[in-house]
Amino acid sequence: MIIRVEAESDIPIYTQLINQIIECIARGDMHSGDSLPSVRTLAADLSVNMHTVNKSYHELEKKGIIRIAPKSGAVISSPKTFDPSSFQRLSTEFRPLVAEAIVLGMEKEEIHELVELIISNIKERK
Amino acid sequence: MSLAIFFIIILFLAAIQTAIPFLTKRTIVFGVTIPEIYINDEQIVFYKKKYAIFVFLISVIALGAYSIWAITSKPTEELIVLAGTVIQFSIIFISMSLYFYFHGKVKQLKKSPKFTKNLKQVQITDITMRSQDSMLPSYVYFLPIIITIGMIGYTISQYSILPEQIPTHWGPNGQADAFTAKTPFSVITLPLVLLIMQIMFLGMHLGTKKSGIKLSATHTTASRSRQLTLRKNTSWLMFLTSLLITILFSFLQFSTIHPNLISDFVMFLVPIVFLIVILVGTIIFALKVGRSDKQLPADIEGDITDYDEDSYWKGGLFYFNKNDPSIFVEKRFGVGLTLNLANPLGYLILILPIIIILLISFL
Repeated sequence: MIIRVEAESDIPIYTQLINQIIECIARGDMHSGDSLPSVRTLAADLSVNMHTVNKSYHELEKKGIIRIAPKSGAVISSPKTFDPSSFQRLSTEFRPLVAEAIVLGMEKEEIHELVELIISNIKERK
Repeated sequence: MSLAIFFIIILFLAAIQTAIPFLTKRTIVFGVTIPEIYINDEQIVFYKKKYAIFVFLISVIALGAYSIWAITSKPTEELIVLAGTVIQFSIIFISMSLYFYFHGKVKQLKKSPKFTKNLKQVQITDITMRSQDSMLPSYVYFLPIIITIGMIGYTISQYSILPEQIPTHWGPNGQADAFTAKTPFSVITLPLVLLIMQIMFLGMHLGTKKSGIKLSATHTTASRSRQLTLRKNTSWLMFLTSLLITILFSFLQFSTIHPNLISDFVMFLVPIVFLIVILVGTIIFALKVGRSDKQLPADIEGDITDYDEDSYWKGGLFYFNKNDPSIFVEKRFGVGLTLNLANPLGYLILILPIIIILLISFL
């Protein structure tokens, strides 16, 4: 379960961390109930600032992907907590991308194919 | 006797100093990060060899001259000790000068067009790796501490039978040669110093445990093996040292309380056995860690390289990284751990005990 970040990338490190952790869960490398390393541990292992890791964990908590308990640390929540508000948030986040795809000349089928491709890529550890 | 002790220590020092370039992390050459694809570059291999041959020759000449001088001209013990100490520091000084010379050379080499290929710098970690961390459990460090507390209690209970003169220094033959007046404080000074050293070892253990396990993106398997081997063996070596110091100090303390209980021969033997076990332990440690990442293959994929941390390593020797919460990190030149000088906790663990020990000794 390798997490990989690029310090010199345009994407901030905390966003890269969020994306990597989400992919790990999506791929099935981590399951609900598994705990993530402590903020200090992950920051030390990656040689990044503790605030960066802390920010990622809080974002993940906001998204409903992990729970942060005072004693047990960050634990991955069960997917059953998916609620209408998450659906709402995702559709607003998807919308501009889908619009951009249409403007750039992608057909409805091509967009469907792209989504299929991304799903299989995630599952195949790409 | 002094000649034999110094001969062994200098031999050990020379062997380690000679072998260092071949025992360090494979992508760090003389304190400079080198991308995995260049680690077998002719020039780099040549620098490593040149350093090793030079240190080896200097050490052989120094050791040979030292032994011949000590055997043929029969100098006093003090002179042998003095010369031995000078040789030790000279070897360290010469190998450090060579280190800085080659550090500069490799830095220059890295700037050459051949090495500045555009590689993406990445940092990686494995979030399940902590379950493979096999450092000793922290509670074992409390065992010697309990022994010491018991020893302090025993010393206080035996206060009346203690001699009027409490030894403070022991000669190479294991016999006390400096004393201080008996007070309730002076009789427990020795175990108190021991206690602080044991707490320091516990602190170093906890600090190491909390520090990062650094993986390399270009040789993940090899770096994982090295980091886990380093952590495991560091905790064992620190525990061994803590235990051996406890045994040594206990012998000294008991020989003060019961002068006739331990024979002169045992008192002479204990420090020598102590020295040999520590030296052998350190050699085994260096070899185990040094070899842990050499046989494993590199796993390079695409145009990536490890994050270049050279700017955090002052002179390639001192680590100063405010972002990294680690207290200890792996050394760049040598085998073992070094402080993250940007983390105040490190100073607390290492400097505070030394200050307290100095205060106790001069009070």
